[in-house]
Amino acid sequence: MTVRTIEVRERVMARNDELAAQVRERLARHHVSAINLMSSPGAGKTTLLERTLAVLGEALEIAVVVGDCQTQNDADRLARHTGRLVQAVVTNGACHMDALQVNEALDNIDLDRTRLLIVENVGNLVCPASWDLGEQARVVLFAVTEGEDKPLKYPKIFQKADWVVLTKTDLLPYVPFDVERALRYCREINPKLQFIQVSAMNGHGMADWFNFVRQAVAPLVSA
Amino acid sequence: MHELSLAIEIGRLVEEKLGESVARCVTVGVEVGTDSGVEPSALEFCLEAVFSHPPWTGARPAITRPDGDVFQVTYFEIEDDDGPND
Repeated sequence: MTVRTIEVRERVMARNDELAAQVRERLARHHVSAINLMSSPGAGKTTLLERTLAVLGEALEIAVVVGDCQTQNDADRLARHTGRLVQAVVTNGACHMDALQVNEALDNIDLDRTRLLIVENVGNLVCPASWDLGEQARVVLFAVTEGEDKPLKYPKIFQKADWVVLTKTDLLPYVPFDVERALRYCREINPKLQFIQVSAMNGHGMADWFNFVRQAVAPLVSA
Repeated sequence: MHELSLAIEIGRLVEEKLGESVARCVTVGVEVGTDSGVEPSALEFCLEAVFSHPPWTGARPAITRPDGDVFQVTYFEIEDDDGPND
């Protein structure tokens, strides 16, 4: 018996990144933009999307892919706000979505009648940061019911994000959350982050969010 | 990070590299950077589970911890059968 050493030096995420590139190319071919929406569980992703679909779903031809460990409850909730397809992905316990799941979900979506794809990732501030899904923009929701130091505790997802949406701002009078400190921590982790503050419940700041969503579509529409 | 799915992906990488070879893989070198978001002991546990099945049976993970967010398979050691005259 002879033992040989074979040099490999291959990134473990390389295959997912290849698939993400395929998703990106496929969406670009159909002039579809994509947003990856991430947060801890309960930060308000589904509620924000419900409002978004109700107001912009038809006008912007939004398609949604919703990932959850189990159940398609969120997809069912969203489907009540749009006549368009909401595609559920049950990850069967996996704590993030990967590019293969998104690519397969796209098979069920009429991309010629879609201008914006929103992926609601599995609620988790750790794993989704490492998996490219083929999106153009990464958005992290950060609820004011969480600790201000979430960016320090989970830096990677904030480093990889483009936007942070501070959610549940209607609760600010009732919780000891210091907005300025939270934003400062975010900027320490990623100085390029941009911010939106919203309450999907009372509508405060939703116009800013809707503008962001419209602008996410605009570059490809004008292309 | 989801270490079991990563361990399965590492197993897939090794299997792909081995191809049609009948050589037995004995060691898989993996660099898990300190900022990679991967927990090395959990990954090692999952790799041992993956490597308890063919075609990896008996392979051993060798995890190192460089600085940074690198996460890659660096090498593997294979044992060749030199044939009946060996």
